[in-house]
Amino acid sequence: MTDGPESDRSCPGAFARAWAKAVSGTSYLPMTQAQLEALLHRLTGRLAEALRSEPFDQRIGQQVGAELVAAHIASAEGLGRTVEVIQLRLLRDLGLVADDGEDRMARLLATVATGYARALRDRTLDEQESIRRAAMVARAQAERALRDSEARFRHQANHDPLTGLPNRALLTERLTAAIAGRGADRVGVCFLDLDRFKVINDSLGHQIGDLLLVAVGERLRQAVGEHLVARLGGDEFVILVERSGGADDVVRVAETALAAVRRPAVVAGHELTVSASIGIVEQPVDGTTPGELMRAAGSTLHWAKAAGGARWSVFDADRNERELARYALSAAIPAALERGEFLLDYQPLTSLRDGAVLGMEALVRWRHPQRGLLRPDAFIGLAEETGLIVPLGGWVLAEACREAAGWGDGSAPAPFVSVNLAVQQVRRPGLVDEVRGLLRRTGLPPERLQLELTESTMMSTAEEPVRALRVLADLGVRIAIDDFGTGYCNLAYLRGLPVTELKVAGEFVTGLRAPEPASRTDERILASLVSLAHALDLTVTAEGVETAEQADRLRAIGCDAAQGWHFGRPGPAARHLTRSPALSGTPAR
Amino acid sequence: MQRPDWAPDTIDIERPSAARMYDYYLGGSHNFAPDRAAARAMMAAVPEAPLMAQANRAFLRRVVQYLAESGVRQFLDIGSGIPTVGNVHEIAQRVAPDSRVVYVDVDPVAVAHSREILAGNDGATVIQEDLRRPAAILAHPEVTRLLDFSEPVAVMIVAVLHFVAPEDRPAEVLRTLRDALAPGSHLVLSQASDDGRDGTGERAEAERVYRRTDSQLWFRGRRDLVDLFDGFDLVEPGVVWVPQWRPESPESVEDAERAVFMGGVGRLS
Ligand SMILES: C[S@@+](CC[C@H](N)C(=O)[O-])C[C@H]1O[C@@H](n2cnc3c(N)ncnc32)[C@H](O)[C@@H]1O
Repeated sequence: MTDGPESDRSCPGAFARAWAKAVSGTSYLPMTQAQLEALLHRLTGRLAEALRSEPFDQRIGQQVGAELVAAHIASAEGLGRTVEVIQLRLLRDLGLVADDGEDRMARLLATVATGYARALRDRTLDEQESIRRAAMVARAQAERALRDSEARFRHQANHDPLTGLPNRALLTERLTAAIAGRGADRVGVCFLDLDRFKVINDSLGHQIGDLLLVAVGERLRQAVGEHLVARLGGDEFVILVERSGGADDVVRVAETALAAVRRPAVVAGHELTVSASIGIVEQPVDGTTPGELMRAAGSTLHWAKAAGGARWSVFDADRNERELARYALSAAIPAALERGEFLLDYQPLTSLRDGAVLGMEALVRWRHPQRGLLRPDAFIGLAEETGLIVPLGGWVLAEACREAAGWGDGSAPAPFVSVNLAVQQVRRPGLVDEVRGLLRRTGLPPERLQLELTESTMMSTAEEPVRALRVLADLGVRIAIDDFGTGYCNLAYLRGLPVTELKVAGEFVTGLRAPEPASRTDERILASLVSLAHALDLTVTAEGVETAEQADRLRAIGCDAAQGWHFGRPGPAARHLTRSPALSGTPAR
Repeated sequence: MQRPDWAPDTIDIERPSAARMYDYYLGGSHNFAPDRAAARAMMAAVPEAPLMAQANRAFLRRVVQYLAESGVRQFLDIGSGIPTVGNVHEIAQRVAPDSRVVYVDVDPVAVAHSREILAGNDGATVIQEDLRRPAAILAHPEVTRLLDFSEPVAVMIVAVLHFVAPEDRPAEVLRTLRDALAPGSHLVLSQASDDGRDGTGERAEAERVYRRTDSQLWFRGRRDLVDLFDGFDLVEPGVVWVPQWRPESPESVEDAERAVFMGGVGRLS
């Protein structure tokens, strides 16, 4: 192929411009129009070279096709337009002529298209590969992130954020596994709790308290770390001894733990010395559950605390049983009150002068559906411990007033009713209103109500309750001190109190039965007690009088009244009311 | 954001990705069959879609060239997509080899691909984050490692904002970013706009196509875009159809509104 006669009018620039115009927009070209034209101008030269080559050089056209793709002129449209513009304009714009021009043009287009398609296919495959690879990498990363976050989540779910120790969930899991697994025959649990931690929290603040917990957790981990040390929350920690050889093993762990906690700790500049208590349960894995084990450890911890703290206790099934029974009984009190399972018996307080029934002490009984008739000593102590004495005592007071209002036929003065008050009842602010309301509702005259308080209740009573008692006394209500002589009450102190009667404890009366000379001493003590009481304007009732001889001696001493089997056993009020005063000097059946 | 930090995305390549559809419009092959199907559906509804993408990409190229030549050496490209041709770091580093670029995208595949492309380039990196968590982007260790916010930074949010719903408060997002920037910094925005067009049905159709992808479309008018440059001084010629932004040849401006994308550059003084 040769330059034609018009070769002086060869114009590769015009061709490159037309080419650039044809391909722009076929795909994104990351260059300016000028850069594109420059590129195509160079490629135009290569095309001319191919057309002139002798013999025809196939490689040049293919290289041009590949270069176009490399320059991102890489789309079906890009190829189509390129073929079109070469076919239409190249020979003319370059001023080329040849006999085999058509032939050469066809071969040139074939090589350009071949080079282009090959490069485009390679590029497509490369890009496909790289995006697949990216998708795989992204998926692997997402899965790893998911695993990491699951692991983190699992760790968070199983650990206490403050100390980093395992939490209750993990402890329960491990305890369950220890019991269910074939690991060992016996398992042990130390339930540890700091003594008086609340004081540290309250006085130094929660931040210091938290730091102390962190320090304690760390020490436990160091001291007994071969076992699982978990924090349940607050200042409660648990050490799980998964393979116990016997109680001694677990006691050793507990002692190590207590020693570790006892060492003084410096926390944020404060030197703190704390102690802990531990409840230990150690038993065969057979026949227990994690819940049971933890409950047992919890109650054992309470025993250690109740014994003064800074010690361990080992679980004792019998003791636990007894406590559970007691607990069950006290828990049943509210429902029993609702169902009306309580009732009152009365014991007379008899005048030693004329044998008249002066008053009657109300004694509560519980008609328990399973356990039969229960006496107060079976449940009053419990009720006092749990605070249930307040509703129970309230019921007794109200019922006693209600019943007493119906006593007597008007012929003789009806006896007063004497009701025991527990210390919690006396300390309640509403006592005066409660009594006033009862008297109003039942119509019982105030003089016919006596409230019995023990010596220790009286002694431990603060100013406010004493004022309440005084208001009641001013109303006319009688106030008696029960069980007098068993505590340390001195008579001078009584002078300041609104008391009207002393009930002398049965112990003193018991002595009167014995033969001389021991009984003489008791008798002299009693005699001086009575005369002192009288000097203070108090009447004296002797409790626990069981024989006629005791009654005689008390009468001789000047004691005012007596109570006890000799004068009547506890029973329904009616039984004592029907007895005529004439007979009352004689022993009851 | 609603997604807790520990809950990673899952990779679902059956779902069309805006990033890979965009690559397809630009003539790339970094895409999968579902991406191509969605892109073709889009092109059936809006035949200019590839032109729009190309015009936007050309706008990006001119802007980076302009910024690099005016001395900006740091780029934060949010919603950077699949690196195909004419990437920010290529343009910027050709002008100034010490230019630093951080790419940000939510699409984990786009991020993985970018990471591969950028391997060995000390001046450029990529993180996976969401434009809607600007504080997380600014605090990301890769961002703070590579970019010095006491010096000018160009924040590029190009062809991304139309994926941010009004309830995600784009203005607040931009304010957070702006507050982190030193004077001399720039904000580059472009997004799909229906300015001056009245419901040809194309818009509804486009929205329908993108509802099946990982990103929804939200058109905004010129006014909205100007408002989003709050606090920045708009560089000439302001917010325009992207082909009209400092064009290289007069022809390229013909039928500029067919580009559908509007954009502009703001400078913080
Ligand atoms: C159309 S591409 C734009 C790519 C590049 N900026 C350009 O203009 O050439 C949009 C990119 O934004 C990403 N994207 C969408 N929503 C996003 C968000 N909320 N945060 C970050 N990136 C987002 C998509 O994954 C996609 O890669």
